[in-house]
Amino acid sequence: MFSDREILSVVEMLKNENLDVRTVTLGLNLLDCASDDIGRFTDNIYARITGAAENLVKICDEVGDKYGIPVVNKRISVSPMAVAGAPFNAQQMLSVANTLNEAAGAARVDFIGGFSALVEKGIARGDRALIEAMPEALTSTQRVCASVNVASTRAGINIDAVLLMGRTIKEAARLTADRDGLACAKLCVFANIPQDIPFMAGAYLGVGEADAVINVGVSGPGVVKKAIDRATASNPHLNLGQISEIIKHTAYKVTRIGELIGREVAQRLGIKFGVVDLSLAPTPNVGDSVGEIFQSLGLANIGVPGSTVALALLNDAVKKGGAFASSKVGGLSGAFIPVSEDLNISQAAAQGHLSIEKLEAMTCVCSVGLDMVAIPGDTSEETLAAIIADEMAIGVINKKTTATRLIPVPGKKAGDHAFFGGLLGESVIMPVNNATGENRFLRRGGLIPSPIHSLVN
Amino acid sequence: MKKMIISVLGKDRPGIIAAVTRILLEQDCNIENVSQTILQNEFSGIFIVGVPKTLSEGDLHRHLDAGLSPMGLHVYEKRLSKGNESQAVVDSEPFVVVTKGPDRKGLVASITAIMAAHRVNVTNLQAVFKGGDDPNANIMIYEVDIPSDANHQALRRDLREKALALSLDLSIQHKLIFEAINRV
Repeated sequence: MFSDREILSVVEMLKNENLDVRTVTLGLNLLDCASDDIGRFTDNIYARITGAAENLVKICDEVGDKYGIPVVNKRISVSPMAVAGAPFNAQQMLSVANTLNEAAGAARVDFIGGFSALVEKGIARGDRALIEAMPEALTSTQRVCASVNVASTRAGINIDAVLLMGRTIKEAARLTADRDGLACAKLCVFANIPQDIPFMAGAYLGVGEADAVINVGVSGPGVVKKAIDRATASNPHLNLGQISEIIKHTAYKVTRIGELIGREVAQRLGIKFGVVDLSLAPTPNVGDSVGEIFQSLGLANIGVPGSTVALALLNDAVKKGGAFASSKVGGLSGAFIPVSEDLNISQAAAQGHLSIEKLEAMTCVCSVGLDMVAIPGDTSEETLAAIIADEMAIGVINKKTTATRLIPVPGKKAGDHAFFGGLLGESVIMPVNNATGENRFLRRGGLIPSPIHSLVN
Repeated sequence: MKKMIISVLGKDRPGIIAAVTRILLEQDCNIENVSQTILQNEFSGIFIVGVPKTLSEGDLHRHLDAGLSPMGLHVYEKRLSKGNESQAVVDSEPFVVVTKGPDRKGLVASITAIMAAHRVNVTNLQAVFKGGDDPNANIMIYEVDIPSDANHQALRRDLREKALALSLDLSIQHKLIFEAINRV
């Protein structure tokens, strides 16, 4: 028997606080589809994906109904295509991307991730072909997401790969100029990419994973914001230690839901349950924003002084609550601050409260990095690469995941507006400061060695 | 020993349980199970007791009534039929139904009629009135067992349609979700 308070708090979270399961992602190992014949390979991966994912959406909906908690997104992540399709050239990689897109459509999922390469130490033939195919692949498909890991704490930073990604992003933007460079919104560049991310665009299934696995991304930031609002309304003098406890308790509840639903979906599909990703992932809706949490904490806007420490508090409390709630935590498990995907953050950027420099600082204490940042279309390949390299350094040195999802919006300049639509949202174009002149440092290329693991300051 | 079920009803005050159990002890009865609740100011208690074969049902009632009626309590007892224990167990799953909306006569009757038609058993029902005069803050919480072979979709549809007709906001969720969130 439950107390009315216990029952009503759950119903309240569901009805008014955007409580949901953000994504259930089916990870599929495609390495056993290997063939050096492109037709056979694409047939194999199509059959494997559509076979394994046939009931994914149906079962997610049924389980969501049973518990009264919607599973908002159902997605698929696959083995890194640069590995699975290593023998193929760029043209053939394009048909791999099209196959992935069709398979995702047949499975009725909105995104499929894993058009990916791992090049932190060097670029193999398959990697190069895949990266070369990326601009066109991301332009001609709707559902395919791509990622490239260019750095790791163990390997260092592959500046050659960073430069290549600068060019690739620029080209992807050019090909989708009519859609504000939309292709770039489906392309992440990573340091220390985890093997089990359920969230897009960074999801892929690592080569160390099993045949199939279910990974879950839990609910968004609305629940956390409302919990803070409720607590501070009843006691305006709460200190930050107390607020941290409230966030922790809320993260616990939200994670328990993800764990319960993920396990049941996995069991019904007859697939191993993987991890719960604790990340607070916003959507471009009021009441579902990480930026709003900053305001509930007492800051005027995300981006003002105090934002980095507020994010550190938030991120740490979410991890502590979530880690206790779930038996297996993985993926990114931090707070996302994607500019265009979060209404409040994009407003803060438009009003000039938030700069790329402050965003970069904040990524030192959260999981993702410079995410969904629209920048002027005339930003050079070299400057793009330099921004990426800076972000990679933060991840490599701090032994954490960082990433960039930068969109140089063709034909637009700082202050203009870019529109991506749906979950990808919209945003003002943020200025890239002090980017004039050549960048001779980066142009030297090569591999920046992995950092020393003692002398930790 | 034979088994009896005894129910006691009346205005709440200190000493009710003490009085009931003292009488039972004096008559050499053994209490096996008790449930009690207080609704507004009214006490209600149910006792399942083992009664010595030598004590007749009439005598037990007289002893209880003599002790309890001066306290303003009504008492009723009944022989527990053996059939209760061997009642066929229906394979079912626990759900929680919550309705929220303006108060009016017949809310519970309408909702439970649908539940009964679908062989749903209500195991606990709470009415929660939040926010004083706010008619929208009338909340009913039904904890129910739904037979595994029931038509869930039809049940949900019927409940939703009725809720709509009564201007109620209705949710139906498997009980596990409340356990997962509220219990460590």
